[in-house]
Amino acid sequence: MENLINIFIRGAFIDNMILAYFLGMCSYLAVSKTVKTSTGLGLAVIFVLVITVPVNYLIENYILTEGALTWISPKFADVDLGFLSFILFIAVIASIVQLTEMIIEKISPTLYNSLGIFLPLIAVNCAILGGALFMQERAYTNIGEAVSFALGSGLGWFLAVVGLAAIREKIRYSNIPAPLRGLGITFIIVGLMGIAFMSFMGIKL
Amino acid sequence: MSLFSSKNMKLLSNPLNDSNPITVQVLGICSALAVTAKVKPAFVMAISVMAVMTLSNVIISLLRKTIPNRIRIIVQLVVIAALVILVDEILRAFVYDVSKQLSVFVGLIITNCIIMGRLEAFAMANKPWDSFLDGVGNSFGYAWILIVVAFFRELLGSGTLWGYPVMEKIGLYNIGYENNGLMILSPAALIVVGIIIWIQRSYNKDLIESK
Amino acid sequence: MNRSNLYIFTYASVMVIIVAAVLSLAATGLKPFQDKNEEIAKKLDILRSVEKGLDAADADSKNDYVEAEYDKYITESFVVKSNGDLVDGMDAFTIDLKKENAKDVDERTLPVYVCSQENGDKNFIFPVLGGGLWGPIWGYVALDADFISIAGAVFDHKAETPGLGAEINTPPFQDQFKGKKIFDDSGAFTSIMVNKAGIPETIHSVDAISGGTITSKGLEQMLFDCLSVYQTFINAQK
Repeated sequence: MENLINIFIRGAFIDNMILAYFLGMCSYLAVSKTVKTSTGLGLAVIFVLVITVPVNYLIENYILTEGALTWISPKFADVDLGFLSFILFIAVIASIVQLTEMIIEKISPTLYNSLGIFLPLIAVNCAILGGALFMQERAYTNIGEAVSFALGSGLGWFLAVVGLAAIREKIRYSNIPAPLRGLGITFIIVGLMGIAFMSFMGIKL
Repeated sequence: MSLFSSKNMKLLSNPLNDSNPITVQVLGICSALAVTAKVKPAFVMAISVMAVMTLSNVIISLLRKTIPNRIRIIVQLVVIAALVILVDEILRAFVYDVSKQLSVFVGLIITNCIIMGRLEAFAMANKPWDSFLDGVGNSFGYAWILIVVAFFRELLGSGTLWGYPVMEKIGLYNIGYENNGLMILSPAALIVVGIIIWIQRSYNKDLIESK
Repeated sequence: MNRSNLYIFTYASVMVIIVAAVLSLAATGLKPFQDKNEEIAKKLDILRSVEKGLDAADADSKNDYVEAEYDKYITESFVVKSNGDLVDGMDAFTIDLKKENAKDVDERTLPVYVCSQENGDKNFIFPVLGGGLWGPIWGYVALDADFISIAGAVFDHKAETPGLGAEINTPPFQDQFKGKKIFDDSGAFTSIMVNKAGIPETIHSVDAISGGTITSKGLEQMLFDCLSVYQTFINAQK
């Protein structure tokens, strides 16, 4: 249990997807105009991560790695389907995203409209594929750890996007040089947030 | 309609400025942060994206009438990923040294939202030739930002350009100059892009966002 | 446009079958070539750790050149246990370090390569494998004939960030390792630390890559994990 909490906290703060690894930037920058839409996107990212990471974990361990297919028949001990990992991960992510898109369209058309093109783009949100790849690389020993990692990094993403949206809502009343207004200042703010977040680096749990 | 009508030229030239994928459409930021610590990887990435984007734009444009709307994202992604993996496999078999340089970019190209964004926004609704031009135009728009950012980050962060020790040759170190280590880190890329946007919008007033 | 579920289902299935077929065909058809390339790359890495095979890029046939150099210099290779015992009947070259690292230390079978220099000196070369930020990193560390200092080291990676972590496979980083010691004066194992710039360099440490913190830390961990298991073996050689 302690281990699970550690993984969760690491994912949310120390290894924050956005502010430590700068993954998932496109939708992060574009959809952080208001706290409301960013909450929606943040929840969508948590949802997609929590589903895709464990699914990809199972795919990785029961289909892709060398010797993973022995549960079908011992004959497959030498089969290594590693070359399919990218395409399978991506396919899983894309189907889940498509599903999310349909669900959001049904239950909240306003959110669906404000997320616009960025909902399909969650599929190529580097944070989601990054989640799958980190999961593969860090070799979590069981599915519980994978879920806890997904939950943690999703929450980290959520907090970062809501935080940025809050700053942007405040900064609307500030006197910023016109050409820098909007996107320009947002880039710089995120850069500064990233620098601040570096202080978490090196903390070991 | 001729192949290079004024409308088609717009497809090529717009992404360089008015609808630049990075500074206006906000697409492909992850890769712009990841590969711009040095000029060389930025250049390699730009070329690879150009190849993948034009090819997948054309393929999706050819298939656009058959793709069911509900699974379009999956179709688009599978086309991109299959293309990239195939190229990677072939390179690994025949030009191993090149592939070692490129294999790092495979994941970054697949998840580059510029490619997906253009497929979704343009190729799904336009003819193959138009989509081809759109692909070329957008990859140039992407490339120039990438290379400008990489230029400043490498020059100020490592004191080199394309691996050539510029600062050392000029002799700046002798008079007490030091590399700015911050420029190598990803946040610096964000700040450099922010400044590029600032400069671009000072010249191109149409892009200024209303309050 | 919305179509019937049957159409969507058929479309998806046909697409998956085509893509899977093309990719599998490519993967299996090209495998022999890729394996050969990987074998050559591995041999070249081993050679480069003792500064051999440096003309590979200019050679008419890179494969023939690397094979010839490898046969010339890498005269022996064998497999040991962590207690220093030799294991008979195993080919060091085919050992998969990834699988070995997953086992308990006592169970591991560890490859060692020996390079015979023209002047009769022998360098022992130890493979290392660990994890960087995005994927595996690996390398070869060659020891001097005194079994204390490093004669040379090469590292490579699968997918580290270009310009940052990826710099571990460049000469400026690797050259730092030459002459560094993995044992202190009392003979205790120290490994090599990879420290951030600013921390004074010692005989047991090198400078990390700025901006590549996680890769650098992964490399430090890899050196400790993979070299420490050879301690008993190395001490027996001194």
